[in-house]
Amino acid sequence: MTESQGMSGLSLDRPPLQKRLLAWFWDHKRVAAETTLFVSQRLVASFLVWLMVGMALTLPGLLWIAQSNLDAFAGQWQGKAGLTLYMKVGAPDAQISSLAASLAAEDRVQQVTLITPEQALQELRGQTDDSEFLRQALDAIDTNPLPAAFSLVLDDDASYLQLEALSRRLLTEPGVDDVVIQSTWLERLRDLSELARRGGTGLSVILLLAAVLVTFASVRLAIESRLGELHILGLVGATSGQMRRPFLYFGAAYGLGGGMMAIMLIAVFLNSIETPMRSLLLSYQLGIELAGFTGSFLLAVLFLGWLLGILGALLAMSQRLGGFSRGS
Amino acid sequence: MAFLELQHVTRRFDNGQEGLSDVSLGIEQGTMAFITGHSGAGKSTLLKLLIGVEAPTSGRVVVDGCDLRSLGAKRMPWYRRQIGIVLQDHNLLPDRTVFDNVALPLQLSPLSAKDIARRVRGALSTVDLSDKGSLFPRHLSTGEQQRVGIARAVVTRPSIILADEPTGNLDPFLSRQVMALFHQFRDLGSTVLVASHDIDLIKDQGCRILHLSQGSLVQDTQLAGAGESS
Repeated sequence: MTESQGMSGLSLDRPPLQKRLLAWFWDHKRVAAETTLFVSQRLVASFLVWLMVGMALTLPGLLWIAQSNLDAFAGQWQGKAGLTLYMKVGAPDAQISSLAASLAAEDRVQQVTLITPEQALQELRGQTDDSEFLRQALDAIDTNPLPAAFSLVLDDDASYLQLEALSRRLLTEPGVDDVVIQSTWLERLRDLSELARRGGTGLSVILLLAAVLVTFASVRLAIESRLGELHILGLVGATSGQMRRPFLYFGAAYGLGGGMMAIMLIAVFLNSIETPMRSLLLSYQLGIELAGFTGSFLLAVLFLGWLLGILGALLAMSQRLGGFSRGS
Repeated sequence: MAFLELQHVTRRFDNGQEGLSDVSLGIEQGTMAFITGHSGAGKSTLLKLLIGVEAPTSGRVVVDGCDLRSLGAKRMPWYRRQIGIVLQDHNLLPDRTVFDNVALPLQLSPLSAKDIARRVRGALSTVDLSDKGSLFPRHLSTGEQQRVGIARAVVTRPSIILADEPTGNLDPFLSRQVMALFHQFRDLGSTVLVASHDIDLIKDQGCRILHLSQGSLVQDTQLAGAGESS
């Protein structure tokens, strides 16, 4: 030893706060570098952990996006709530014209569109391209079997009860055969949305727990592989925080990596369904863009991944590092 | 008052066996002493009590006037940072270089990488391993590994050096080299306590010898000899 100072004096007090803060800073810097090295040296194993955590985060993420889009879809549908009114087959034109005028005069009705029997038949013929049997059946009949119909669009704020009341009243009009409330679909959509919400929540909890368990198992392995080092660190005066810090970083790294993996998987999935989904929505005259894959969503996925990683690490440390509290 | 002091210390294990039995002793600051005795005599238990890894069942372990029991979990790490510990099996980390092994205790302190490097180089120079810093422990001989362990123990410039059978795996020549290092640290102001059963080596060191048998202190002798100073 070339320097003798400091070898004989003994201080049994904790160092001043400034020194401890400096040690804390250097330790974080060192642990961050060590974690980067650890992960990069075990890239395949780390990738597999990220993939597992990412897969566990992907389904909850997709369910959340699906939920957001169902809500948006339901909202847009609600704006077009209305009725379809079917006349009796062979109803006279005068009756149809009279009803059209009275419907247009209704307060709640925004728009009235008449679909004549001829238009309905033409539309039906247009849909028989794939069915030779149906085409032949339509050719075989002499008279048009389809009734005239009215498509009614109501005010945006029309409630389901108002739709029902109007529907009952219209059924009493002469020549009216049936009235179908379009918002029946809205109710179904809402039921579907609620089902997705409840089922998705349960499934998401299970998958998020799986993500915690994956990071728990990975951090526990890291602890096992460093027991010798922990033993030495305890003997040379590492605090509990200094012994635990590397594993918290591992947990955070696994969680963040898993979050990034989940974002990539969700992006790939959404990209693959975007075209058929848009086509489907357009067939319902709904020009909805897929919503939910926003900046705040990405941040939320990353934060959730980080949080689950930290939870897994804390779980592993509480189970495996308790014996090192005295440095033994 | 002695610097290291055991006051009527008894250490009883969970199985009822006593590792130490009503042991009282005191070691002055800046001195070097040996604890001898057969396997199971209580040498390692005594060192563990001084490190704070184990607590006495009864009695007090007092260091520089402070009962170690009063330190608690918060202050214990800072106490341990002032102790250099040398173990028989070195406990070097196989996946770290010699340099990193020696640097391990310094990484806990508020030192920059530059300061750590300077002090590690100094410690390696002291044990004559300046050119081995980049090697891994498996590339070193047993004697060199033990010197790395010593460098790691003294790199923090500890006030106390506790060594448990530090020459157990070494030949007589290397054992004397290690002892010379301990004398050197003693001369620099550290209080050195070495547990060893190698009587032939110890009797040449000219130090105080505390002989344990079945957990009791049975002999306390002060020798004068060649190793008094180096």
